[in-house]
Amino acid sequence: MGGAGMSAFLGVMAVLALGGLVLLGRSRREDRQTRLSYDRDRRIHCAVAAAFRPGELTARIFSREDRDYIRRTGSSALEILYLRERRKVASHWVRQVSEEVGWIMREHRLRSRQSANLSVIAESKLFFYYAELKLLCGLMLVLVRIFGPHALVDLAARAGELYQRIGRSLPDVLAALGSIEPSRNPAA
Amino acid sequence: MADGALFGPVQSARDDLERRTLSTIHGDLARLIYLASTRVYNSGAYHHEGLAARFGLDQAREALQTAHCNVFRRLVSLSLQGLVGELEAYVNTSRETPAGLIHAWRELEPYRVAVPMEMDSTTVQLFLSNIKLALEVLELRQQQRREGQPASSLQPLLGQ
Repeated sequence: MGGAGMSAFLGVMAVLALGGLVLLGRSRREDRQTRLSYDRDRRIHCAVAAAFRPGELTARIFSREDRDYIRRTGSSALEILYLRERRKVASHWVRQVSEEVGWIMREHRLRSRQSANLSVIAESKLFFYYAELKLLCGLMLVLVRIFGPHALVDLAARAGELYQRIGRSLPDVLAALGSIEPSRNPAA
Repeated sequence: MADGALFGPVQSARDDLERRTLSTIHGDLARLIYLASTRVYNSGAYHHEGLAARFGLDQAREALQTAHCNVFRRLVSLSLQGLVGELEAYVNTSRETPAGLIHAWRELEPYRVAVPMEMDSTTVQLFLSNIKLALEVLELRQQQRREGQPASSLQPLLGQ
């Protein structure tokens, strides 16, 4: 019974994560207009900044302190606006993490082709971190819409931790991304 | 020993900017608006005549840019309650009426141009979103004052 329950739970989580991954792809198009102005010429900066992003920003987005403050105003309209705004920011954070880790891994893959001394263990570990983070991002994107960002404090912390682990494992990739001027970035 | 000898001209320019200018401005939001106003819209480069004359153009630019980013980060890391306090202080020290300023900020969103260029997009989104919410909180307070609601209902909002 316990085993069946666990399987069902894992199945639901897998479906949600896959749904989230689909959403990640779709939302890239939906959100294009609002994000382009910020993202276009900042992509490289983003990648570097986010790898060392202090947990403080994540905590700020997902924390309950601001929600409690808004609740104390007693205005339901303000509460609705707050939840909508925070959902938007949290979804943006999830998409940014997912995209940036994708750039980092792409850059790593390109560099790895020229490398003679790859460690299978290190590469496998990196791949599992990457896969876990991508699934987590997909899952979070769905859960943010269902439960709001404040229910996801722990998941966000885990995603942040995985991101930093990947960033720390690939300092050369980050250094290379950081050394490219944004104006020379073909995406700009 | 002069500061410049210890930390270099950029650090001296930063100290000078902090001591002579930023410390005289009340509140980080006002500092942010001031620092953003030293940036040329077309190029995004910072310019401050006095600072450039004393420390050189590049040093002045870097000092302004660093100060701008630091003030912005401080504002983003504030709780919503803290930001409402900042915004209220800014409204109170401006020459506009609170209602006029809140209306203009809600309509024109001038705070968007106060964002440093070097920030990552999530940080920018959070800042813009928080300012929007802080404006709504202030608007609500104004409304409650106009309607003469008892002060106790405003009390939880007065976090400063």
